[in-house]
Amino acid sequence: MTIPFYRFSALEIREMFEKGEASAVSIANHFLARIAKHDPSIKAFLKVLETEVILKAEALDRKKKMGLPCGKLAAVPVAIKDNMHIKGQLTTCASKFLTNYKAPFNATAIHLLEEEGALLIGKTNLDEFAMGSSTENSAFFSTNNPWNLDVVPGGSSGGSSAAVAARLCPIATGSDTGGSIRQPASFCGVVGFKPTYGRVSRYGLVAFGSSLDQIGPITTTIADAALTMEVIGRHCPYDATCLDLPPETYLLRKELQDVVIGIPTQFLEGLTPEIEANFLAAVDLFRTLGAKTMEIDLSILKHSLPVYYILATAEASTNLARFDGIRYGVRSSGAKTLEEVYDFSRKEGFGPEVKQRIMLGTYVLSAGYQDAYYRKAQKVRTLMINAFDKAFEACDAVLIPTAPSGAFRKGAIHDPVEMYLQDLFTISANLAGLPAVSIPSGFTKENLPLGIQVLGPQLCDVAVLQIANAYEQASRFGKIPPLFDDGA
Amino acid sequence: MKEHTIWEPVIGLEIHAQLNTRSKLFSPAPNRFGDEPNTNISYVCTGQPGTLPILNKEAVKKGVQFGLAIGSDIALLSAFARKSYFYPDTPRNFQITQFENPLIRGGSITIDIDGISKRFPIKEAHIEDDAGMLRHFTHFAGVDYNRAGAPLIEIVSEPCFHSAKEASLYAMEVRAILLYLDACDGNMEEGSLRIDGNVSVRLKGENILRPRAEIKNLNSFSFLEMAIESEITSQIALYEKEPNRPHLELIPPGTYRWDPDAKQAILMRAKESSDDYRYFPEPDLPPIFLTTSYIDELRSTLPELPRDRFKRYVSDLALNNQSAYVLTQEKKLSDYFEEANTICKSPKNLCNWMIVEFVGRLKDTGKKFVDLGISPKHLAAFIQMIDQGKITGPIAKQVADEMVASPWKDPERIVKENPNYQPLDDAETIEKFVDEVLAANQQSILDFQAGKERAFGFLVGQVMKLTQGKASPSIVNSLLRQKLQKS
Repeated sequence: MTIPFYRFSALEIREMFEKGEASAVSIANHFLARIAKHDPSIKAFLKVLETEVILKAEALDRKKKMGLPCGKLAAVPVAIKDNMHIKGQLTTCASKFLTNYKAPFNATAIHLLEEEGALLIGKTNLDEFAMGSSTENSAFFSTNNPWNLDVVPGGSSGGSSAAVAARLCPIATGSDTGGSIRQPASFCGVVGFKPTYGRVSRYGLVAFGSSLDQIGPITTTIADAALTMEVIGRHCPYDATCLDLPPETYLLRKELQDVVIGIPTQFLEGLTPEIEANFLAAVDLFRTLGAKTMEIDLSILKHSLPVYYILATAEASTNLARFDGIRYGVRSSGAKTLEEVYDFSRKEGFGPEVKQRIMLGTYVLSAGYQDAYYRKAQKVRTLMINAFDKAFEACDAVLIPTAPSGAFRKGAIHDPVEMYLQDLFTISANLAGLPAVSIPSGFTKENLPLGIQVLGPQLCDVAVLQIANAYEQASRFGKIPPLFDDGA
Repeated sequence: MKEHTIWEPVIGLEIHAQLNTRSKLFSPAPNRFGDEPNTNISYVCTGQPGTLPILNKEAVKKGVQFGLAIGSDIALLSAFARKSYFYPDTPRNFQITQFENPLIRGGSITIDIDGISKRFPIKEAHIEDDAGMLRHFTHFAGVDYNRAGAPLIEIVSEPCFHSAKEASLYAMEVRAILLYLDACDGNMEEGSLRIDGNVSVRLKGENILRPRAEIKNLNSFSFLEMAIESEITSQIALYEKEPNRPHLELIPPGTYRWDPDAKQAILMRAKESSDDYRYFPEPDLPPIFLTTSYIDELRSTLPELPRDRFKRYVSDLALNNQSAYVLTQEKKLSDYFEEANTICKSPKNLCNWMIVEFVGRLKDTGKKFVDLGISPKHLAAFIQMIDQGKITGPIAKQVADEMVASPWKDPERIVKENPNYQPLDDAETIEKFVDEVLAANQQSILDFQAGKERAFGFLVGQVMKLTQGKASPSIVNSLLRQKLQKS
């Protein structure tokens, strides 16, 4: 009898492997077959690492036979967002610029995943350089939402979220600069966790906004997110901003009796009725579970968007300066002078959204404008951090929706500012460096998933996942999209 | 130095010194000059995507030591910033430097100029990473990233110098301090120390600064002086030729390089309205937090600095200012001197041999005395032989020639092995030579008796010549005196 592994969580798959009920090769083959069958309609993957996965699975099976420990993620297929380095594989960042860039080293998170026996099954699609909220900014193709192939999966980790939602793999990595893990997780009905800034090393992640970027897991359950964090949430000497703390143990059971959840009512004014109803239902469920709720003042978060789009683009404009056609990447064939190498290569290599953000970032850092934009934004960022500090004196966690809407139709949003509004509820966690998780919280009238977010104080990653876990156990909105629940 | 009657030059210097740490400022790649291109590099040095800088604490330590040595305020909190500009030798197309929060503020360098002590204030000093180097071939250019990421300390003076001489003496003192701290190898030919000079002139008594020329990458002190001197002269000439033209038209601000062959500063690039480097805090590096105990510890373990050593040589060892200065400017030379002097305890004689006699013998070789290979022990033994009269002055000079030719050879052996170097201190033998000389130089005897002391010296010289320099000068002297008084 073949086991439909896709219906199981990563934890369960690992246990089946550990108990000898399933070989790593059979697990790998199962998910490779699902990818082969379903990914043509979803287009979550930029590259599937068939050969490498089978080789790794065979090695794991041999290790197992010899009675050796195989790791916390033994035989668990994990997809990697294509802005993280797997040594020897292309890291394209879904950009034309990097179609020829082979990663010379492993990202720390990749190294840790491999050490714990994960099967790196492929590289997933994203908005170019992680800039976008729909994965439509990929230079190669857009990804479809497994709940409805005509709508977007969200972004920028849209490939990773769609892959996990369609159960093409139980775990995928994402990177989150302003919501790029959580918003697509909510659009695809899966769990997406952005850890405390510095919890996961950024070494080997192609930088977008250095002071905001965090790698995190996209999974079907909170328990799997916790499992992934136990593996990748480690201090790394190659990232000076990485927290120098021992790795956390994520024991997930937690009663919510003593938990106080803050609701920033003012900040949430103007929600659409559907999102508001979904959010209030979640609040009710938390109360039913014993949590106390209180109103908190985070009205300053109304300024999140401009602050974020100034700081993130400023950092991005310099982070992306290294893509110049000199040392690596695609150099324009028409360039004859140094200036032309720069100009033509960047003009041909970058897509419109990336160019827009580089220009915006360059502008806000320019002499004469820096005080009005960059510096002002830094000041407001500090005020937001202070507001969160104050809120967390009174409550243990903050609850807000993940996105202002469910997933939208492909091509529906043209106005960049309207697209940026997608990030309204997610970016504050990046600006303040907080751990935040998106959990499925129900569905829209069109049967598209919705998500809510639990935010906690810095370093309280475990508590955030514990609170989310209690909600998940009681709500169970994380379902398999019917299109892809074919039993095989 | 020229005098510029009504004009006053105003000069500021920016000195970039490479800190001689083992690895680079932000990567573990070796910080080493002269290897095959692109061998001392890591993923960080070539700006690979996904790489992050990790600060080398040793570089911070050396920076703090320099700040303490010049009496600066050491910032308990300093931070790095990104300085954006596109150039192929800059792997990330931004330099990581310090901007608003440098490690070091204030401090000063004191120098004696024509016997007068002058204090030159430092504005700030900060740490940053070096760029790689472009190499031009016939049909293409290549980049060598070996130097990319090497740690630099940039030392920015106030515009406080009023002559090229002041500026170069200041730069020499900065170099000497860095050498004493073992913070930089000071090798200007290899680019370990590069100087930018900002030069302007104004009428004496004016309190504005007129437009300045920025002369980049001066890699020797003589070029520095020449470049500044020539820039001063040319600016004065421009002002005098067209006194009514706006200053900015006469001297458009720009970057110049010194052409040593043409002996003039060549404009490389006129400044656009203003270069915009879009500095902002480097998000990949947390600020540097230093504790007062760390700073105090470094302060209490600072080595003796060149100026202190200079003063000690003058006051305790009775060296003249010039000798003491020459010795103390090069730490290796001065350390060598110290080591030899503890054995021979003859500072003046030792110093003279080191900085006059041996240096003279090496003049045309391009070699430095300290690099020659004569050990301090051997030199001390040599000095002792002289001091104890075991060899005469003329023989000493011959022995010195042989030491230069065979630096590893013990000078005592050199003397022992050559019968001609044995001193002649037998009074009877010497008396014969003295008599011979007196017999042949009647006129000199008459001159001496007429009160011409110079004649005596001449006669001594004749005796020495006759004995091939081997005769003990004191015996020659006393014999000659005796005989001259008798006759």
